Amino acid sequence: MKCFDVAVIGAGVVGCAVARELSRYSLSICVLEKELDVACGNSGRNTGMLHAGFTYRPGSLKAECAVEGNREFDQVAEELDIPFKRTGKLVVGFDEKDRKNILKYKVIGEENGVRGMEMIDKKRLNEIDPNAGGEFAMYVPSSGILDPMQYTIALAENACMNGAEFLFDHRVLEIERRDERYIIHTPAEDVSVRWVFNCAGMYASQISEMLGYPNYPVKGFKGEYYVLDKKAGKEMKIPIYPAPNDKGGFSTHATPTVDGNVLVGPDSYVVEESEDYKVTKEHMDGLFEDGRKVFKEMKREYFIRNFSGIRWKRYDPETGAILDFMLEADEKNPCTVNLVGIESPGITCALPLARRAVAKLVEKEHPAVNESFNPRRKGIRRFLDMSLEEKEQAVKENPDYGEVICRCETVTRAEILQAVHNPLGVCTVTGIKNRTRATMGRCQGGYCETRITDLIQKEIGISEDQIRYSRKNSYMFTGKVRDEK
Amino acid sequence: MRQADAVIIGGGPAGLAAAVELYHKGITDILILERESSLGGILKQCIHDGFGLSRFGETLSGPEYAQRFIDQVEELKIPYITDATVIRLTGDKKVYAASREGIIEIQAKAVMLAMGCRERTRGAISIPGERPAGVWTAGVAQSYINLQNKMVGREVVILGSGDIGMIMARRMTLEGAHVQAVFELQPYASGLPRNIEQCLRDYDIPLYLSHTVTDILGKDRLEGVVVSQVDEKLQPVPGTEKTYHCDTLILSVGLIPENELSLEAGVTLDDRSKGAVVDENYQTDVEGIFAAGNVLHVHDLVDFVSMEAEKLADAMARYIREGGLPPCELDIKTDGNVTHTIPQKVSGKKSFRLAMRVRRPMKDGAIEITQDGKTVKRYKFKKALPAEMIQIPVEAEKLNGEAPLEVNVIC
Amino acid sequence: MLRQFTCIMCPMGCSLEAEVLPEGRVEKVTGNNCKRGKEYAVREVTNPVRNIASSVLVENGELPLASVRLNAPIPKKDIFPVMAEIRKIKVTAPVSIGQIVLQDVLGTGSDVIITKNVKRKAEEL
Repeated sequence: MKCFDVAVIGAGVVGCAVARELSRYSLSICVLEKELDVACGNSGRNTGMLHAGFTYRPGSLKAECAVEGNREFDQVAEELDIPFKRTGKLVVGFDEKDRKNILKYKVIGEENGVRGMEMIDKKRLNEIDPNAGGEFAMYVPSSGILDPMQYTIALAENACMNGAEFLFDHRVLEIERRDERYIIHTPAEDVSVRWVFNCAGMYASQISEMLGYPNYPVKGFKGEYYVLDKKAGKEMKIPIYPAPNDKGGFSTHATPTVDGNVLVGPDSYVVEESEDYKVTKEHMDGLFEDGRKVFKEMKREYFIRNFSGIRWKRYDPETGAILDFMLEADEKNPCTVNLVGIESPGITCALPLARRAVAKLVEKEHPAVNESFNPRRKGIRRFLDMSLEEKEQAVKENPDYGEVICRCETVTRAEILQAVHNPLGVCTVTGIKNRTRATMGRCQGGYCETRITDLIQKEIGISEDQIRYSRKNSYMFTGKVRDEK
Repeated sequence: MRQADAVIIGGGPAGLAAAVELYHKGITDILILERESSLGGILKQCIHDGFGLSRFGETLSGPEYAQRFIDQVEELKIPYITDATVIRLTGDKKVYAASREGIIEIQAKAVMLAMGCRERTRGAISIPGERPAGVWTAGVAQSYINLQNKMVGREVVILGSGDIGMIMARRMTLEGAHVQAVFELQPYASGLPRNIEQCLRDYDIPLYLSHTVTDILGKDRLEGVVVSQVDEKLQPVPGTEKTYHCDTLILSVGLIPENELSLEAGVTLDDRSKGAVVDENYQTDVEGIFAAGNVLHVHDLVDFVSMEAEKLADAMARYIREGGLPPCELDIKTDGNVTHTIPQKVSGKKSFRLAMRVRRPMKDGAIEITQDGKTVKRYKFKKALPAEMIQIPVEAEKLNGEAPLEVNVIC
Repeated sequence: MLRQFTCIMCPMGCSLEAEVLPEGRVEKVTGNNCKRGKEYAVREVTNPVRNIASSVLVENGELPLASVRLNAPIPKKDIFPVMAEIRKIKVTAPVSIGQIVLQDVLGTGSDVIITKNVKRKAEEL
């Protein structure tokens, strides 16, 4: 049986942030993940917004962590070498009711310590973004955009290079307390640890119960998205949200991504099933109609893909009220840290939450500091982002940079090979995609997917019937057309 | 910076045919840039026969058809570079390509766009459902099966009656897969009648018109699809859902000219064809940049791609020799029965070949080309299908150089 | 009896009608625009034939497969038996277009021919 000091359950953004923060100490760490890669759940299924923190109840963990996470993110992005743009955000309004609802958030934001928010008139609005609708707006300079997938991967890779071990395809079935240790049963193997961090996202309540905490009631709010072509994103520089409704909710909006696409969505509806990520005609039609109101370039010819995510919110069954993030470490369940109901703004809050979670362990046993900890991680250098001279130089140093595999996103063989040999050992097609953007463009892999599967096969040395698309049983091929035999 | 009279972007059927024809017209300073490791383009994976009847008077497979042109390119020693992906084209005809040897930079006198087209995807048509493995466009499945020796599935449903989808229905059946049915959203097939006959009927594969996939089932590998009938507005009819258990869904739902480089160079595209707006010389609105083949408009037959490219080469050779071509300022307007025309602009002083498609199947009608209210050409047809490209020669002596032309379908 | 066909001899895909006599002889064909259409209709009634295209395994090739077709059509009923024969073929690179890899497959009189040039793998040279 493998033994570790700590097991982190779940390789979403929070689990990976916890693993990374734990790796600052001399601890043996494993991350148990049921899927074949990080960020397979809702960490990779959201808008990729670095929230400012003006919508959360003052004094709440959400508010505290969002503001903290927002302030530090330039440094985080630099350390982890991930794309990030502090674009700011516009919340636009048309009438006095809108103004009233926007101002409510301005007051909350100021109380939470969000800096630089200001009400701006139409003239300023047009200066910031001539394509924005609305008569006035609240300008929030601290909001930003990032790629939540790249961010989670970066956290995980940084944790990994600092010693954390990622165990994929390890779904936690049962946790047993034995001789001051926790024996975690998974279909792959049993793992013995002293500490358990529950970062299981949508399954956090089940893990919570396994650890001796309550099975907290959670409710799933699903949202669907459209991804639009970069052509649509050409003119879009800043996320534009419509004024909140009287209940404080935002309807469908359009957001630029760090790569230059546009996301339209999410809408919001309640679902039961943990991983009901299917997209539906009803909601796609709704997004198209609502999206057109806020984003003029919402045209069918720009459709690239749809996806959905579910925000699993903790709520009070008596009143129905949505509750704050739960972060607890109860001595009744020794050496456990329980994180439940971590939903939006989970990306923004991941590192602040991780620090608070890790502090529970540090306060209790004062582990030695990991002297060789390195907070910096290098990402895959993108050919697309290089100047002509840099491209020339990159090809000279590594001819694989001269071989374009994905035409739409101009991803080269060098990048694909780095992704295939990623530190976490992920080798699904989706894994390569999330690390390089190959297949993410308008042809959706029509040109490059066959080349990527070929490279995976040759580099990893597996037969075609072992190549997987994304999930455990997502085998792509039934075998060869013509066999040697 | 390296110089060339003619740079051809893409070594598929259009690029190859143009190169050979340019050479025969006396332009020998040519460079073909091809992103793959060998010439031939999409024909390499089109191993079925039926190519070449119009161009060569015999029926060949795709690779054989391509080889006829490749052999000529080799024989004439026309320069080409494979494994070179053009990453940028400017309006003043500078071409930048990435290759393992470095970034290739060329100043061309004239550029031919010959990048072909791409397939419309699931995302482009917003098919609802889960996202399992086992959903492929027909061309990707074709590449896996015919080039990579990878079998994509065993129980197959096909959405869209495009030619590649039907050809893959037959191909997969021959390789032991079971193709349950082909579903088509429109009330008519989008591929050629002979493919319905020899790819579907021959193998007892049913074709259901006015049907579409309304759900995709399975989180890991595809487990099934839900298919619904659609009404006249192409909207699914509730209550008509039927589940087909399958591990593979093949999409053959249309092709889109691949014009990202053209746009960067400032070429104006036609919203209808998704290709460049060109004149009778196949010149775009950026002087010296020409386009033909599937990058210009999606063809039904490769033979017509080659022939179009050869016509382009004639004009391009003249452009290179004379430093310009006479202006073409007359628009070709169409009625609602015509999807688009090639060319979209003419001089009115030169004979040209009008290529077009009708928007819906029609019988016993005529296509009338008029100028100033006068009939220039009347082309009668027994049947006209959206699947088929119609080509009509228009003679210069019938035209005047002043008024726009109109194309109307009378039915 | 009147039978209807879609001609597959060329991309025009003419709709043909053949008048078939009780003894199976074709009396008259209409709808065709050329001689081949008439021949096609007659064959469809008497002995329908098809060409097929597929691939064979290549050893030491720069590609794993070489595409093949038949140099003359075969009776429709022989399609799957012929496919079974094609599946057994293994060739060694280099192969070139037109090369016969199986002569007179199943006594049909048709040969299986290569339709793609496949060179030897670079390192094998």
